[in-house]
Amino acid sequence: MAKKIKILVVDDETAVAKSIAGALAGKDLAADTAGGGQAALDLDQKNRYPVIITDLMMPGMDGLELLKKIKARRPEALVIMITGFPSVKTAVEAVKLGAFDYIPKPFTPAELRAVVRRALARVSLEGQPQKISGKSLYAIPENTWAKIEDDGNVKIGMHPVFLDTIGHIGEIELPKAGERLAQGEACVKIIDSRERKHRLWCPVGGRVVAVNEKVRYDLKPLVQDPLGQGWLLVIAPDDLESDLKNLVPMED
Amino acid sequence: MILYDFIDRLRRSLRAKLILTFSALVVLSVALSAAAGIVLLGTAIRRQAQDKVRQDLNGVIEVYQKEGQRIAAAVELIAQGLSAGQLAGGHGRSWERYWREAISEKGLDFVSLTDEAGRVIYRPLNPGARGDRYPNDIARWVQWSKKTVISSERFSQGQLEREGGDLSARARIVTADTSRSAEQGRFHQSDGLMLVAASPVKDDKNRILGIVFGGVLLNGNEELVDRAQRMLYRQERYQGRDLGTVTIFLDDYRIATNVTTAQGKRALGTRVSEQVYRQVMERGSRWVGRAYVLDAWRIAAYEPIRDISGRPIGMLYAGILEAPFVRLRNKVVMVYLAIAVLTVAALVLVVNWASGRIIRPVRELVAATEEIARGNLGYRVPVKGQDEIGQLGDSFNRMSAELKRVTDGYLELNRTLEQKVVQRTKELEAARDSLVQTEKLSSLGRMAAGIAHEINNPLTSIMLNSHLMKEKLPKNSRLHEPLDLIIEETARSSAIVKGMLEFSRQTVSHLRPTDINRALEKTLRLLDSQLMMQKVSVSTDLSEELPQVPADEGKLRQVFTNIILNAGDAMPQGGRLEIATKWDGERRKVRISFADQGSGIPREVLPKIFDPFFSTKGIKGTGLGLAISYGIIKQHGGEIEVQSREGRGTVFTVVLPLERNQI
Repeated sequence: MAKKIKILVVDDETAVAKSIAGALAGKDLAADTAGGGQAALDLDQKNRYPVIITDLMMPGMDGLELLKKIKARRPEALVIMITGFPSVKTAVEAVKLGAFDYIPKPFTPAELRAVVRRALARVSLEGQPQKISGKSLYAIPENTWAKIEDDGNVKIGMHPVFLDTIGHIGEIELPKAGERLAQGEACVKIIDSRERKHRLWCPVGGRVVAVNEKVRYDLKPLVQDPLGQGWLLVIAPDDLESDLKNLVPMED
Repeated sequence: MILYDFIDRLRRSLRAKLILTFSALVVLSVALSAAAGIVLLGTAIRRQAQDKVRQDLNGVIEVYQKEGQRIAAAVELIAQGLSAGQLAGGHGRSWERYWREAISEKGLDFVSLTDEAGRVIYRPLNPGARGDRYPNDIARWVQWSKKTVISSERFSQGQLEREGGDLSARARIVTADTSRSAEQGRFHQSDGLMLVAASPVKDDKNRILGIVFGGVLLNGNEELVDRAQRMLYRQERYQGRDLGTVTIFLDDYRIATNVTTAQGKRALGTRVSEQVYRQVMERGSRWVGRAYVLDAWRIAAYEPIRDISGRPIGMLYAGILEAPFVRLRNKVVMVYLAIAVLTVAALVLVVNWASGRIIRPVRELVAATEEIARGNLGYRVPVKGQDEIGQLGDSFNRMSAELKRVTDGYLELNRTLEQKVVQRTKELEAARDSLVQTEKLSSLGRMAAGIAHEINNPLTSIMLNSHLMKEKLPKNSRLHEPLDLIIEETARSSAIVKGMLEFSRQTVSHLRPTDINRALEKTLRLLDSQLMMQKVSVSTDLSEELPQVPADEGKLRQVFTNIILNAGDAMPQGGRLEIATKWDGERRKVRISFADQGSGIPREVLPKIFDPFFSTKGIKGTGLGLAISYGIIKQHGGEIEVQSREGRGTVFTVVLPLERNQI
């Protein structure tokens, strides 16, 4: 029996922590749970978890603080944030601060597992992750990029590293033009070849003004030219200025 | 009362005052001039009449003197026919015949012969009476002058009888009393007034041998007075009477006259008025003037008849009836008065007209002020002329217009104030309502955020575990169905929570000038396929004059989408949705209305439709759509109005202000 990969789940609500742990437990995965930040740090010290799932809002030490401390100690550790809806922006901020991804509550086991699988894939990713750069380019690190166009709209696409973590794309679900999206909300869903659903977070809130319908049928540009032909949608931003604060600038 | 009313009316009527004043002046001046004219004319007429009478009297005197001269000539002729011998000698038949012929042929009433001293030596009519002397100085005058002397003399009854013939009887005149006679007295006038001439009989040596006397009795001498009357008045008559009359008086008795009595007889024996008698007979001077002669007023002139010694013994009279002069004067007066009356009438008319012309604009002004007092502001008087009244009218009109303008301004101000109060009240009520709604929403938002957070954890557990259970259940387990139900309901709970959170997060970001029409068109384009599926046909009436409104276009389109989809839901069998935009320039607001033909919203439900979690769609809706829309529009400073008639449809109207700082 191969050694199971251990993951740490941190939540002040034991029921949630146990449920998550339960949902993750399987052939190759096992999860420990911690009821707070300090306990998590203690456990991590001992077990050096490759992936830590933590609730963002916790009494005492909150998720962000925990993230900072773990990252300070072990930059290679991947931290997944569990967020309530009001803190989606905080979640994006958390990604900026180094979180691998986040999962908005409530979520299904499938959603949870998809993110964890991606994290594990990222852990085992060899070599330097691909970096992107460009003028007026911003990113939710390793998730999506946002490029401010001359007309003030924002073009959005998938971060190349995201693709690396999901393997093969089976299907892609794009939003409809006219739909409204908030920053941090799921804007594109990607179903990989194992039928896992992955979500790309919208880097900028606003109204969808254009969608690259081509990629629905032809995934090649998405894979080969994720920053160019592989764009996914264009958003007319509501409040670009405040959204940009939560993004990582990718200018040279 | 009537008089009082009249005076009262006068007091009130400016025109009456003017007319009265002017008329009084006119009447006064015309009356004065008429009076002066009448007096002057009357005087002139009287003077002229008197002048005429004076001339007439001169004419009468002339006739009288001519008669005297005729007598003198006759007597002279007789005297010249006598010789000295005849005087001294006998008295034969031829002598007597000579004298008789002398009397009859020469038209004398008596003849006598005296000696050189004046003693009567022969009376042909009474030869027996001789030796006496005439009781006057005629003989002496003849002796002195040696020429023929003419004189008027009183002959007493005795004297007349002595002269013989019927002289005494002829002279006798029954006197009649007249009202103005000097004294009551004799019943008979027996004396005679004799026009006498005496001529000397001279010898070769011019010595006076004797004197021939001859005369004509004037008593009852119609011939003389009628001759004078004929000569002077040519028998002119006035109202059946002689216009002019001539009379010879002895003392104050009419002894020869053509003045007639009421019975048409000559008024012999009647007497002259005392006034005339005194002046003429007693003072011996001429009298000219108005006199009451017998029975009528006449313009009369009296001249004294003097005897040889200069004593007034009678009078000559010429007179004309005053009546024609009075009539003439009256005529003139009448004409004068007529002219005066006509003048007055004409002047009054002129004054009336002029005052009317002056007063009419004043009256119009009075009427106009009454109109204004009655509230008819801005009333204008027709302005004519440049005079003071015209200027008054002008300034009145200006005043009236100004009054109207000011009053209208006040009324308008009042009206606008009222309107403003009403509108403000409405707005305040709406603001209060919306404040309540907003308050409801925001407190609910805060609560929702808290609840969502708390609920999310159990939901997460439920979701995870229900899924896990399902995964672990054998494929044919009967528990799959209830588990699926749990999963579904959890998902729904999750959606509700998500909605609540979204709702609590509603904040519009930057408002940019937004073309509402374009936003609507884009929204419709996106909803096109869905509306087609729902068999909803959309007609639009988008106003071209819509200004750009500061708005969060994305949020706005969310609102539009929500309302349009609701409309679609309200018409399950499909129908028409009419969308219109309108610019309310007055309130500076854009109105976007969505009218569906759906079932309408029941009256009792209407107040709740914007409440969060209120839904009519059962499990299909979260009940947050309209609440969120409402929140969005409120954040734009706008309103969502709803009008609904059950069975007819609903009209949602989104009202967006051009400026934010409105209630």
